[in-house]
Amino acid sequence: MSAIELRDVLKTYDGRRVVDAISASVERSERVVLLGPSGCGKTTVLRLVAGLEVPDSGAISINGNDVSAGGRNLVEPERRHIGMVFQDLALWPHMTVFQHLEFALRYDKLTRPTDRPGRIMEVLEMVRLVDRAHAKPGELSGGQQQRVALARALVTNPAIVLMDEPLSSLDHELNLHLRGEILRLHATLGFTLVYVTHSREEAADIGTRVIAMQDGRVKDAGTPTIATTNARDT
Amino acid sequence: MQRRLTLLLVVGALVIIGLLPLVMMLGKSFFVDDTLTFAVYEKLFADARVQWEPMAHSLTLASLTAGFAMVLGVPLGLLLGKTDLPFRRALAVLLSVPLLIPPYILAVSWFNFLARDGLLARFIPARTAELMSGWLFGLPGCVWVLVGAFMPVVMILTMVYVHAVSPRLEESGRLITRWPGILRHITLPMIMPGILFGGMLVFLLALGEVGVPMFLRYPVYPVETLTQFSAFYDFGAAAAAATPMLGITLAVLALERFCLREKTYRLRPVTSGTRMLLVSLGRWGVPAFLAVSLLAAAVVALPLLALIVASLSPFAYSEAWSKAADSLGRSLIFAVFGASLLMLFGFFCGYLIHHRVLRFWRAVDTLTLLLFTLPGTVIGVGLIALWNRPVTGFVYASAAMVILAYLAQYTALTSRITLATLGNVPHSLEEAAQMTGAPWLARIFHVVVPAALPGVIAAWLIGFIFCLRDLGASMLVYPPGQDTLPVRIYTLMANGAPSLIAALCVIVVSVTLTSLAILGSLLRTALSHR
Amino acid sequence: MNRRVSTLLLVVAAAGIAGAIWTAFRPGDNVVVVYVSEDQVFSEPILKDFERETGIQIKAVYDTEETKSAGAMNRLIAEKTNPQADVYWANEPIRAEVLRQQGVSAPYRSPNAEGIPEQFRNAEGHWTGFSARGRILIVRRWLKEKPLSIRAYTDPRFNGKAVIANPLFGTTTAHMAALFIVWGDAPAKAFLDAVRKNGVRVSSSNGESADQVATGAFQFALADTDDVHSRQKQGQPVEGIYPDQEKGGLGCFIVPNAVLLIKGAPRPEKGRKLIDYLLSRETEKKLAYSDAGQIPLHSDVDTPPAVRRLETLKVMNVDYAAVAAKMQMIQPLLRDWVGH
Repeated sequence: MSAIELRDVLKTYDGRRVVDAISASVERSERVVLLGPSGCGKTTVLRLVAGLEVPDSGAISINGNDVSAGGRNLVEPERRHIGMVFQDLALWPHMTVFQHLEFALRYDKLTRPTDRPGRIMEVLEMVRLVDRAHAKPGELSGGQQQRVALARALVTNPAIVLMDEPLSSLDHELNLHLRGEILRLHATLGFTLVYVTHSREEAADIGTRVIAMQDGRVKDAGTPTIATTNARDT
Repeated sequence: MQRRLTLLLVVGALVIIGLLPLVMMLGKSFFVDDTLTFAVYEKLFADARVQWEPMAHSLTLASLTAGFAMVLGVPLGLLLGKTDLPFRRALAVLLSVPLLIPPYILAVSWFNFLARDGLLARFIPARTAELMSGWLFGLPGCVWVLVGAFMPVVMILTMVYVHAVSPRLEESGRLITRWPGILRHITLPMIMPGILFGGMLVFLLALGEVGVPMFLRYPVYPVETLTQFSAFYDFGAAAAAATPMLGITLAVLALERFCLREKTYRLRPVTSGTRMLLVSLGRWGVPAFLAVSLLAAAVVALPLLALIVASLSPFAYSEAWSKAADSLGRSLIFAVFGASLLMLFGFFCGYLIHHRVLRFWRAVDTLTLLLFTLPGTVIGVGLIALWNRPVTGFVYASAAMVILAYLAQYTALTSRITLATLGNVPHSLEEAAQMTGAPWLARIFHVVVPAALPGVIAAWLIGFIFCLRDLGASMLVYPPGQDTLPVRIYTLMANGAPSLIAALCVIVVSVTLTSLAILGSLLRTALSHR
Repeated sequence: MNRRVSTLLLVVAAAGIAGAIWTAFRPGDNVVVVYVSEDQVFSEPILKDFERETGIQIKAVYDTEETKSAGAMNRLIAEKTNPQADVYWANEPIRAEVLRQQGVSAPYRSPNAEGIPEQFRNAEGHWTGFSARGRILIVRRWLKEKPLSIRAYTDPRFNGKAVIANPLFGTTTAHMAALFIVWGDAPAKAFLDAVRKNGVRVSSSNGESADQVATGAFQFALADTDDVHSRQKQGQPVEGIYPDQEKGGLGCFIVPNAVLLIKGAPRPEKGRKLIDYLLSRETEKKLAYSDAGQIPLHSDVDTPPAVRRLETLKVMNVDYAAVAAKMQMIQPLLRDWVGH
């Protein structure tokens, strides 16, 4: 049973097929990278898996259960227990780092209220932000903000984590460093990762498998080596 | 599910509060003695001279008012919101004062200033005084008063939108040209939708204005609706007479939709810590300050001064207080309650429109704006027609009717403010909360509202101002013995001494300013700790 | 959410809820609801006296000068099927007649109506007049040639020097209708045309007309006696002239207040008590001595010297029911006249 499965998923915007009848699957604990130029539909695929978009046709299942089918969401995003890191990070400007994680845990039925503070500190230690727990996003550096977004996605211990070009705005050194952090966290926590990027280097480094996309379709899929041979950067 | 249900409830409430009374009113226009007939409309459109001349006057007045409001309001908004003009905050507050005052009180103030025996007449030759007085009564006077009353709308919107322009965009322009060029080619084009929306708002406000044109004897179309009430006791004809106004509003909305609504702009992201770029005026600072001060004196200080001078008579204030203290208290409480509900309704309507949650989101937007344009008397009679029944008597006999009138008339304002605010809040903030498992209402109150807080508070304050100064609808629906202050002033205008009326007006202005100052200070303190 | 913001929103919500509770308040039982078209400045003290003397609380809805009937009158008609008011205090019998014709009133003959001339009462008891105003000319005090008749509006000597309140509203409408009845349609229409040709300006109300004369913008205007009295009390240089008092003259159009019981009133007993109070000689005396300076219809009421007694006046002899009917008929004509 795959962690994520897409079966002939179609999504159109203004008559244009942004995701053109894609079928793909992601196994448990895999790190799958969606690679492709801007506008190829990779972010849309991610948002469809998250439930933030609804496929026009086709089906999406998570752990063998259909979550989207027949042109509607069968399971709403807030019930899919998926962690997500957004491209613009989507940090809440009025909340501190601690409050970000505390809010994320508030609706997690698997964590008891009394366990929340401990879990939050655990995750903060993982992302090395303990000393910035009471800072607000505006007071953090770019790299620190990235780690807050990561921590928020991971604090509920989700089985699946989606990342939408999380490192695209960072300088090379920080990018490399955070890639290492992501891999380290994956090794520790064992979640299934779907990672979107247009960078061949990131794809080769992060993915155990790469799906190359173009014009809403899967162009190629395979080991990370295809990232260096078949895909194009923007 | 939670989102859909909540929004459907809000829309349902809006339909009951606003649409049904309107339908009932329009229904009356098609039935005479319980017979379906178009006679009222035939009569309405038969005599073009009687109907269309006032309509031409209304359109002229509204266009001139909107035009001048934008010509004055945009530069003022830029000066006060985008430059280092000395005392700009104080000047912004001063220039915004007319917005707090019911327009007919402004008309009274200008009358006290410019009348043959007004304040100005003491200092100028009699012939000039007569000329000024003659100028006041008619189109020029109406435009002058209404521009003073509504220009702050454009000014404030310009100030708000100019704050939302990403500094990076302007900085990239600074490598090419100087500030006048940046403002002309980058800043202004980006905020043009907001400015045009302000112009549209002023146009609609001036179009529906009754008190000022009546006082200054300029025949305009909404008076026709009033005449049908007063002279003929003909509700059907009054409703029919309101239909051309509805038509114009629909046309303006269609134009707005066509020109403005689909534009998207890169505005400053909420997470950015960078401050807005201020234009340094340098040696132009002092002349600019003097020019703006002169304008503030002309538009604001003079009529207020005339009002204060007119009120200076022994016992005027004590008599005013004894006659109006109870209605003042009621007005404040109704305004607080009304503003709170308007904020709530407006937020959800704005959210619905922004995210297009329901298929008929456009209809919601159109309905709120239509209700905003309708004369208050039409809304008032519609509310009576709907609620004055034995089964709903418990509502009708209470001051809830006043609140319903506020909601029907002013939801458009708070909805549009929310809409503008949500445009600045990245949708990903709510999506991120959604991915944590938070239900919709939790996302709204813990993430979206805090991110949009300045706009939410602005909506409350605007709702408060408009509720406090409302006259049209509340005049018809207030329960016996529970009149509001604007209604009380209007009824006392009949034979109250001019000094009493002036004192009452000064009390209205003072209370409004004081309330806003206190609330603004509290909110500033709260927001500084976010 | 920030704690202070939460607190602030809580305070606002609490104020809102308090407002909600208050707005749900309804009049209790020891209350009488009266809709009033007489100016609040004059009517409110009388109603407060009633409250004090009887212990019955008054809940009032007042008309406004600018919108005339848009307040009380239209509310009564709009509420016909489910009345909220118990009593209507009209400032002229024409409104009372219109309401009677619309089926809004219920007959009630108050014992205090005894002594009021029949001309000022509805025959079936639907309304009763009291404390009248006269439609008189307010004139600049130092005018050499003073107008003595309403025909002064057509006198070339006063070309462009007179103002009249909008005849679509208030007592001016009734006055015009009375002229149509007394003179006939054609002569009355000719009179209006002549008025227009003589450069007469139209103001929004009697009060505004009075102000315009008081400030010297115009030399005279038709207004009500209370408009004249109040300007005199303010020290304005004006005087009131009862028009057409000569032998064979038209007479002065008298406009009494009128009170009626609302059909289906929620509190009819209390309504009758209020009606009795308003029709009392004591009330007429108060209104005579007030700034309104209204003329008592009971002949034995003490009045101040400035207030003419009814028996000293030549009164225009009209049937108010006929005036009310004629008023509705001439509305289109008046609207055209104003529109020009």
